[in-house]
Amino acid sequence: MDFKVPTDRKYTNSHEWVRLENEKAVMGITDYAQYQLSDVVYVELPKIGEVFEKGSMIGEIESVKAVDEFNMPLSGEIVELNDQLHNNPELVNSSPYDEGWFLKIKINNPSELDTFLTANQYQELIQREENQ
Amino acid sequence: MDLAIKNNSKKRTPLYGIHLKLGARIIDFAGWLMPVQYESIIMEHETVRKNAGVFDISHMGEFLLEGEDIIDFLQYLMTNDLNLLEIGKSQYSVMCYENGTVVDDIIYYMENKNKFRMVVNASNIDNDFQWLNEHISDYNVKISNISKNRCHLAFQGPKSDKLLDPLVDTDLSQLKRFYFTNCNLNEVPLFIARTGYTGENGFEISFEAQHAELVWNALLNTGASPIGLGARDTLRLESSYSLYGHEISDSITPIEANLSWVVKKKEGIDFIGKQVLLNQKEYGPLRILVGLNLLDRGIIRENYKLFKDGENIGYVTSGGYSPTLKKTIGLALVRTDLSSIGTELEIEIRGKLLKTIVVSTPFYRSV
Repeated sequence: MDFKVPTDRKYTNSHEWVRLENEKAVMGITDYAQYQLSDVVYVELPKIGEVFEKGSMIGEIESVKAVDEFNMPLSGEIVELNDQLHNNPELVNSSPYDEGWFLKIKINNPSELDTFLTANQYQELIQREENQ
Repeated sequence: MDLAIKNNSKKRTPLYGIHLKLGARIIDFAGWLMPVQYESIIMEHETVRKNAGVFDISHMGEFLLEGEDIIDFLQYLMTNDLNLLEIGKSQYSVMCYENGTVVDDIIYYMENKNKFRMVVNASNIDNDFQWLNEHISDYNVKISNISKNRCHLAFQGPKSDKLLDPLVDTDLSQLKRFYFTNCNLNEVPLFIARTGYTGENGFEISFEAQHAELVWNALLNTGASPIGLGARDTLRLESSYSLYGHEISDSITPIEANLSWVVKKKEGIDFIGKQVLLNQKEYGPLRILVGLNLLDRGIIRENYKLFKDGENIGYVTSGGYSPTLKKTIGLALVRTDLSSIGTELEIEIRGKLLKTIVVSTPFYRSV
């Protein structure tokens, strides 16, 4: 199976992506992640203004068959949420890198960006998981 | 993901290769490698509600019963009353243990007094065959397990009559609900019943496994879509049909499962579990199956616990998302005094208590 892994952003081990937009980080989940979940029916997002450390569990994605948590990719404050997900959670499946974005973070520790996986490294991660 | 399946002892239906070619995602269901979805569970669900879909249900079991004493034999094993059955008609029933809990839910078809066909759940094929044979005693009945030689397909949706009728050499408009007929599709003999597990109009078809691809392709060529087990589950849940191991099981009685109508008085006829079941029917069970909606945001799922005033008073037997109603629905066993429609309860979802409410079932009825 071929999964999309755009090179204009970075990735985590837990299948989230992060893209810098001015001083904010936009996050969502990857094509591989949405495929595993299948039909997403509900995304529980944190609230605007909440502050989290990198790695904290901040929300849940419910699909027809499963529920999964997602984590804060970078320490900072939640400054914007994708309101479209409330009524159209299926955007996570149809457009995981674009219209299916989750939230934006005002990051407070830019050095954390160094720990991310590049598109190539993330491709390798998917390959390893697929071969298990 | 299906490429990772290394266990060769899993069973495959005759259409397994076709499902792979269609891009289906495969899961293990009761030891069978089955398609859970081809594209999207929600899209497949909507296709069945609006158009027509074809399901491969060949993992289900089929038995042939022959002999003079079939009716008396089944009257003893089944809770439903075969006096209500006619030649050419099917009947849904459960068969129970002495304590009233369920061995399996079954549909049987009376071809004539000496020949019946029976379809059983995939997870219970061997168990049911053994159960039936254990109780034959002096009844003149021979039971054959023909599961391996048969292919089963379901053709369901509002367009199913219009699409299927031209393919077969019989007038399907004459076939009433629960009735069956034998006919041909391109010279392939088919056993077709107007029955289903989706809540829509449709048919269930059984025929010799060697014709699997021919019939499957003919049905898909009508414009109907292939539908996986994922949508099969969301469809049956909206219609509040029981699934063995969830709403009925060897620890749940049909009365508790709100299937009281399937347990008949059968005066003068003994059947296994009769005493317990008629007792429960008269005095009411201590717990009963209800439908649930959520008043908070979330998804109801199987095994979530239910509470009232801090006390655990039930649990969810099946739950999920309803694509038609666009909200979460669930079936649950709750203490009978808390089962009235409108009763507010609490449901534990990943450590949090959310508000849930008892609603009437089925959640969806086709118009």
